[in-house]
Amino acid sequence: MTRFMRLTRVATVAMLVISTTARADIAIVINDASSIRQISHSEAVNIFMGRYRRLPNDSVALPIDQAPLKARFYKALVQKDMAEINSYWARLVFSGRASPPQQAGTYEDLVDIVTHNNNALGYVDATQMPAHMHVLLTLSE
Amino acid sequence: MKSLPIVLMALLLACSAGAQAQTRLLDDRVTLSGFGTLGLIHSDQGHGDFVRDIGQPKGADKHWSARTDTRLGLQANVRLTDEIDGVVQGMSQYHSSGDFSPELMLAFVRYAPDPGFQLRVGRLGWDVDIISESRYVGYAYPWIRPPVDHFGMLQLTWIDGAEVTLTRPVGSDLAWARFFAGRSDSRFFMTDALQADLDAHNVVGGHLNYETGPWRLRAGYTQIHSDVSFSGADADLIGQLYSVNANRYLNYLTGFDELQVYSLGAAYSSGPLQLQAIWNRDILADGDTWLDTGFMSAAWRMESWTPYLLLSSVRTHDSREDPVGSNIDQHTWSLGLRYDVATNLALKTQFDRIHTRSPGLLWRSADDHLKGDQSNLVSLGLDFIF
Repeated sequence: MTRFMRLTRVATVAMLVISTTARADIAIVINDASSIRQISHSEAVNIFMGRYRRLPNDSVALPIDQAPLKARFYKALVQKDMAEINSYWARLVFSGRASPPQQAGTYEDLVDIVTHNNNALGYVDATQMPAHMHVLLTLSE
Repeated sequence: MKSLPIVLMALLLACSAGAQAQTRLLDDRVTLSGFGTLGLIHSDQGHGDFVRDIGQPKGADKHWSARTDTRLGLQANVRLTDEIDGVVQGMSQYHSSGDFSPELMLAFVRYAPDPGFQLRVGRLGWDVDIISESRYVGYAYPWIRPPVDHFGMLQLTWIDGAEVTLTRPVGSDLAWARFFAGRSDSRFFMTDALQADLDAHNVVGGHLNYETGPWRLRAGYTQIHSDVSFSGADADLIGQLYSVNANRYLNYLTGFDELQVYSLGAAYSSGPLQLQAIWNRDILADGDTWLDTGFMSAAWRMESWTPYLLLSSVRTHDSREDPVGSNIDQHTWSLGLRYDVATNLALKTQFDRIHTRSPGLLWRSADDHLKGDQSNLVSLGLDFIF
């Protein structure tokens, strides 16, 4: 019985660790061919919120949203939910000021776009790092 | 110049039709979107009808009215190359023509070779203060409508012209400046029987902005030179009574032909808290008469609910004895609630308590009892984007 309880406790702790890791981090990624190694949090906000889309190497940043991860990403980036993010973009889109990031419908679409464009920035769950990309910034949830 | 928007629209459509997709990212060349509001308002004021701005010829009387706040906008964004794109937007709302006839609100081509530089040419929004460009997009703000004490007077809807925006990072902050020049047409109503048509042939302005963390700060200046024509039964009456040219006489008394707008604005958005404050001073021709308008707003988001509080005020400073009864002295307390039903749909309700010491141009069918009176308004709104 004691052994069973110990096993249960170990299993519970293991599951907590796994689930925490699974939802812990979101990584902003770029194609391995890019010379950019990292960006700051404020640069990430400027790029994804359409304020100033310039990469540290002076090229134009091309942010890409990933639909399945979008709500988690913006909560981690600017602590806002999707209604607030859409409200923010409504102000900029309907005054003709800026456009939101291009939308990738799936993880595979995102990987495809970032693989084919050296200036494209996407985000992925840190546990699902695609090949041939590196992490510019990690956001904790 | 009046045909400019049509030419631009034709150019955009022709270019987009002829252009070939160049890369995987540019497949979505044309984006169609829209916004709208279904609004209902109820006033308890029997001595004057409430308007959203002085461009509305009729106001909301002592019943429910859907006219004041209801609107629909449609927009097409066209990406031509990586550096050039265009936007066309039409909107239908109750406005100065006395009906819901659609207006062309935006029709411009943008050249943005670099994130730090942007040039736009065509029909542009009226960007005089921090939210004037997006004041028709209900989904973009917590309130039922932007405060009437501030946005109800002396606003243009658009300008036909050009604009340059320069942006520079300052550490982790952003500094940016915008300069614009152009012209506009506008019609507003001074009473039920007196309207003013502005041919604003020279609109020049700019603003400096600083964005740091959750803060957006702006200081701006705009000047507008117009030819103003007054018409309606009251204008005829003035001409006959005093045997004068009513246009020249009313221009002399109102000073609407030369207008300068100074504006200071600040917005704060962090976590659940949203704060906004704007103050404008509109100086009329002779420099001795001006309007101070402003508001402060605080909103707090709790899951899908956003309660908010709004205080706005408008006051004319005039060394004369209010010669045409256009001087305003009014402030409003508003309390409201926004509920986000979905990520593109919000329901709102708002209560306004308006203290009117002098109604000026902001009320229709106003009688003397409105002076010093208080009005209570209840509004319901449904804002959506698609």
